[in-house]
Amino acid sequence: MTQANEIQMEQLGAVTLLDIRGDITILSESFLNDAYEDANNQGAGKILLKFQEDAYINSGGISVLIQLLAKTEQNAQQIGIIGLSDHFTKIFNMVGITKFAKIYKTREDALEAMS
Amino acid sequence: MSAKKQMVRRINNHAVEVSLPSKLGYERIAMDCSASFAKMAGFTPQRIEDLKTAVAEACLNAIEHGNKNHPDTRVLVTMNFKDDRFSVSVKDGGNGISRLPRDRTVMRRIENLEPPKGLGIYLIKQLMDEVEFNKMTKDGHSVKMVIKLKN
Repeated sequence: MTQANEIQMEQLGAVTLLDIRGDITILSESFLNDAYEDANNQGAGKILLKFQEDAYINSGGISVLIQLLAKTEQNAQQIGIIGLSDHFTKIFNMVGITKFAKIYKTREDALEAMS
Repeated sequence: MSAKKQMVRRINNHAVEVSLPSKLGYERIAMDCSASFAKMAGFTPQRIEDLKTAVAEACLNAIEHGNKNHPDTRVLVTMNFKDDRFSVSVKDGGNGISRLPRDRTVMRRIENLEPPKGLGIYLIKQLMDEVEFNKMTKDGHSVKMVIKLKN
């Protein structure tokens, strides 16, 4: 039922964009971890996570993201998020993810703030 | 589509029931059904999103913890709209939640960037107007949630 994730990495100046396609659930764990490890191995210091606005995100997916944020904190990496719907922006604020990753409205806003 | 039709049953003019297999991913059937029903009842898009998340999280708990992902078991989701109250009951065959996680504990784990056990329950409590956990029946356990049209 739940689709697998396809994640594309793109270097935008100092920012590494991870373009994440698909829903974010517990089944996303290996996809997100692999993409993060690739970015980390390439020396990424600033990572921008781009979600699909119509993606389904559940508590399992949020747990996976929190574990990813733990790694970025350990590695002193700056994290931004784009592509969230208004609802999931509210949810991410509600659970406190925004203490560790800033949410931007647009890719341009994110790149300007993170560069 | 035909499988989806078999899962949804109209009870009366105010209520429908969705019967889901205990398999991760099927919570989306209940989510979509609740969204359609709430739209017919006049809820705003924002409140429908709140409802969808709460229904999904209650179903996930029922599938994983109540029915232990056992493929032969079902999760029954009953939705009822009456007198400006949209109520959803999610039933599984489990023994209920032995210890409800405290909001403070969930938030502390997130602040420490640890996997937050009980996040689904936390979200349900934040998004719904009323929630009752641990309603035991002869067939198992149910969670009842209410979202009000005029909040």
